[in-house]
Amino acid sequence: MDFDFLLIISKMGPMLKATITTIGVALVACCLGMLLGTVLLIFKNSKYRVIRIFVKVYSSAIRGTPALVQILVFYYVLPPVIGLDIGPVTAGIMAIGFNSGAYVAEILRGGLSRISEGQWEAANALGMKKSAVWIKVILPQIYYSVIPLLVNEFTMVIKITPLLSTITVLELTRASQHLIVSTYRPVEVLTMAAILYFCICFTLSQFGERLQRRSELYRL
Amino acid sequence: MEFDFLALWDNRALLAEGFLTTIVISFFAIPVSIVMAGGIVFMRISKNKVARVIAASYVEIIRNVPFLIQIFMVFYALPFFGVRLSGLPIGIICLSIYGSAYFVEIFRGGIEAVPRGQFDASKALGLGYFFYMRKVIFPQLVGYIIPPGSNIAITMVKESSLLSMITIAELTYMAHDVNGRTFSPVEVFTTIAVLYWVISTALMTLSEWVQKKMQVEETLNVQLIR
Repeated sequence: MDFDFLLIISKMGPMLKATITTIGVALVACCLGMLLGTVLLIFKNSKYRVIRIFVKVYSSAIRGTPALVQILVFYYVLPPVIGLDIGPVTAGIMAIGFNSGAYVAEILRGGLSRISEGQWEAANALGMKKSAVWIKVILPQIYYSVIPLLVNEFTMVIKITPLLSTITVLELTRASQHLIVSTYRPVEVLTMAAILYFCICFTLSQFGERLQRRSELYRL
Repeated sequence: MEFDFLALWDNRALLAEGFLTTIVISFFAIPVSIVMAGGIVFMRISKNKVARVIAASYVEIIRNVPFLIQIFMVFYALPFFGVRLSGLPIGIICLSIYGSAYFVEIFRGGIEAVPRGQFDASKALGLGYFFYMRKVIFPQLVGYIIPPGSNIAITMVKESSLLSMITIAELTYMAHDVNGRTFSPVEVFTTIAVLYWVISTALMTLSEWVQKKMQVEETLNVQLIR
């Protein structure tokens, strides 16, 4: 049997274009996830029990079901229920963003647990409003301390994006499926796709680990 | 709009079959991946540089390439090498390989958390490598491994949904099938979401129960030693 990688490399144009889509979708979804994670974190520390229970149910639902099923639910279930025709890209970004939000909330919670109780008391003593304490005192510190984990979360999001190929978003996996169909060389195409994904994720996760080590070096 | 869960009830046999297949796949894949990881972690921490590099690149490649691409590679590439397997074994193999990479990292983290002095003491007592790993180091890891390990196990159950893409008749595949028959996507996909939630919550509860039980035994041991 013989492999012809050169042939595939010469036809990789659409795949590279789709790689940019993958990164773009992941970036938007990750921003949505961070926003949602922050909101969930603040809700979790709310004084109203109903809101705290809502956060619990939300994170249990997201973390208890596969990302693929969530994407299918967003794509097939959401449009008839809310009566709005959202396209596959929007549905996909929303599904991944809502998925990532639950995990980001968990990461931020870890950051929050490192912040001492005294800071809340000091801020209260200074007469700051609760919203001001969150925005000006607590959140900046949390974000700064969890940057490495957020980088890792971004690689996780990139690793979920192939699932969007099921709902016809033209990202790297779907582009490589098209190339497989037109050339019938699955081994070569999939190897190239795997190398592309590996380059993106490995670089990011090494970067995240480096940041982690550095932040451990300078802590205390 | 109205929902028709009755159409779903007529096809309950299909969904039940898919549910069972998902459980069977996870039931085999999780123990296999733990055993594989137990072997690979010895390579990962060995003094031989070649073995260490091989194990490290195995872990990094598996962890940095999306699971879907891995499945496709195994599914499409194996026939080119003359290996023809049916869906279920391929699913179990893929899932085991995927899980093993994550378990290796957990095991390694656990072994590195054990104080160096214990290794030195075991060597000073003249214990063989595999003997002291088995009798001294691994028993201490159990409590350390269970919380992240159960997370990985739950992740594996969830990732098994991707096997529907290579036509393995597990829960998600059956959901597509039932959806094709009844055209009731809302009901079908919410139902399987609930079913997956039930499996992972059951596993989570089991892990918490084991953790509680382990702690009781640990404290008992401590008292006995004293």
